[in-house]
Amino acid sequence: MQIKIENITRIYTESRGLQPVSFTVEKGELIAVIGHNGAGKSTLLKIMAGWLLPDSGTVTVDGINLKNRLAVVKKVGFVPETPNLFEFFSVEYNLKLFAHLFHVPFVRIEEILREFNLLPFRNSKVQDLSKGLRQRVSIGRTLLADPPLLLFDEPTSGLDFEMTNEVYRMIRDFHGAGKTILFTSHRSEEIKTLATRVIMLHQGHMVFDGSPQDYFQSDLYEKLSI
Amino acid sequence: MIRNIITLTLNDLAIAFKNKTIFLIIFIPLFVFFSLKLVDRSATDVKKITIGLIQSEAYAPVILHTITSAGNIFTVSRVSGEEEGKRWLREKKIDGLLVRSEQDTGSVALVVLKKESLQTLSIVESFSALQRGTEGKSINWISGITPIQQGGIQKQTLPTWILMVVLLVGFIIMPAQVAEEKEKKLLLALLQTPMREIEWLGAKVLSGMTLILTAVLFLHLLGQFNPGNIPGYGAFIVVGSFCFSSYGILLGFLCRNQASARTLGILFYLPHLLPSALSDFSQKLTMVAPLLPSYQLYEPIKAILLDEGRLSNLSLEWFYLLAVGLVTLLFSYMLMKKRWLM
Repeated sequence: MQIKIENITRIYTESRGLQPVSFTVEKGELIAVIGHNGAGKSTLLKIMAGWLLPDSGTVTVDGINLKNRLAVVKKVGFVPETPNLFEFFSVEYNLKLFAHLFHVPFVRIEEILREFNLLPFRNSKVQDLSKGLRQRVSIGRTLLADPPLLLFDEPTSGLDFEMTNEVYRMIRDFHGAGKTILFTSHRSEEIKTLATRVIMLHQGHMVFDGSPQDYFQSDLYEKLSI
Repeated sequence: MIRNIITLTLNDLAIAFKNKTIFLIIFIPLFVFFSLKLVDRSATDVKKITIGLIQSEAYAPVILHTITSAGNIFTVSRVSGEEEGKRWLREKKIDGLLVRSEQDTGSVALVVLKKESLQTLSIVESFSALQRGTEGKSINWISGITPIQQGGIQKQTLPTWILMVVLLVGFIIMPAQVAEEKEKKLLLALLQTPMREIEWLGAKVLSGMTLILTAVLFLHLLGQFNPGNIPGYGAFIVVGSFCFSSYGILLGFLCRNQASARTLGILFYLPHLLPSALSDFSQKLTMVAPLLPSYQLYEPIKAILLDEGRLSNLSLEWFYLLAVGLVTLLFSYMLMKKRWLM
């Protein structure tokens, strides 16, 4: 799997948005997209997930343009910062609905419930769950179709210490299973613990692309203190 | 594709149940039912009566003379024939039409829009008073009353209630539901699956139509109203529910959140409801209302329920509603493709 981002832009205002950004992601990479608030991290991931359309530029997954949504939709899984689940309904219902739409067998739901320790909560309404549990359901739902590319937007935002470690473990496991992962973060310990590559955005521009070791030794780390 | 549409439709109906929309659907027909039981029949001020006379008709001279002399009660309009007279009645250009009675040449038959109406009562009372003043006897000049629209007052107000239900789902419920899915990023989550945009739109239209059809059916069951021409009536309810569900979805796409969708919905709801529903009472509104799609639903429903109208005579209105539904659906599709305000 290869993802090519070529000159994508998305301008909100003069100082906010994403200026032309280009890079390539190879199979098995675990990339931390870092930057301050408003740097364009989430915009980049949302464009890669098809949530936002870029003003210009292209994103291709294995040579297929992201505009061809139906051809790439099963290859890209996106976990947003705030879980977007049908809150009125149970965990199982949420998974079943998406299993229907992904055309995956219901046995996969059992696997997800087991894998994410959600069996005791299968009949609980999502609105009654803690943020950590919701995040687990959201990740589980994304994994239903087993996409090779996973995008996490601030995956540990608002989670307690225990749940944060749980998410780290999951991301490492997914990476160990051969998935390509991009996640946004502004926590240095997250970058150190997880990433194999760091892409830094500042005011919409890509200002760094390299290994975590190089990043922590660079002036940027000193200057922007992330 | 069909499986996805069914799955999404069931999901939308489940949401309607969970977010209490379904209670609204049940409450409105109940409200309508009890309101109809309490319809106020008290009289209000009666204006001057416009009476239609057929030019070639040989009316009894005494009746003709009395009517034309009573300028403070009657305004006389001449029509070329009975058909034109009935058309004028429907267009509210006249309040009643006099035709020669077949039983008695000394009396007339009165043709009115509705038998149980203030106008009819007023015409009959005025005739009785004039007759007593002229002849001093009590044999009725009016030998019979023929209404164009059948049914009692409950049935006559039914088209208004049906329009209200259709517009409520179309302009209040559908925009809010679409905006909620956008606001909570649920639509974006669904677009992360191999579901096509048109499937989602199809499911939304179907769920809107289901809500409307349920409410209309419930209204008929409670009131025991027989629609008469069922195929024609069904065709209009189906196309009307399609048109206003699509219209509502488009309004939802124009809003970022539920609150703005509700506001926009009400802004569309009242101007569509009131001119159409009140066109029966106002000449001015009768001229303006045809510009609205709601009137193109209201008038055919009224014609079918009260006037024994047929679908073949109303095909223009039917295609107009279908076209509005398709155009609004197309705009929604374009906005969805652009991820508008998502």
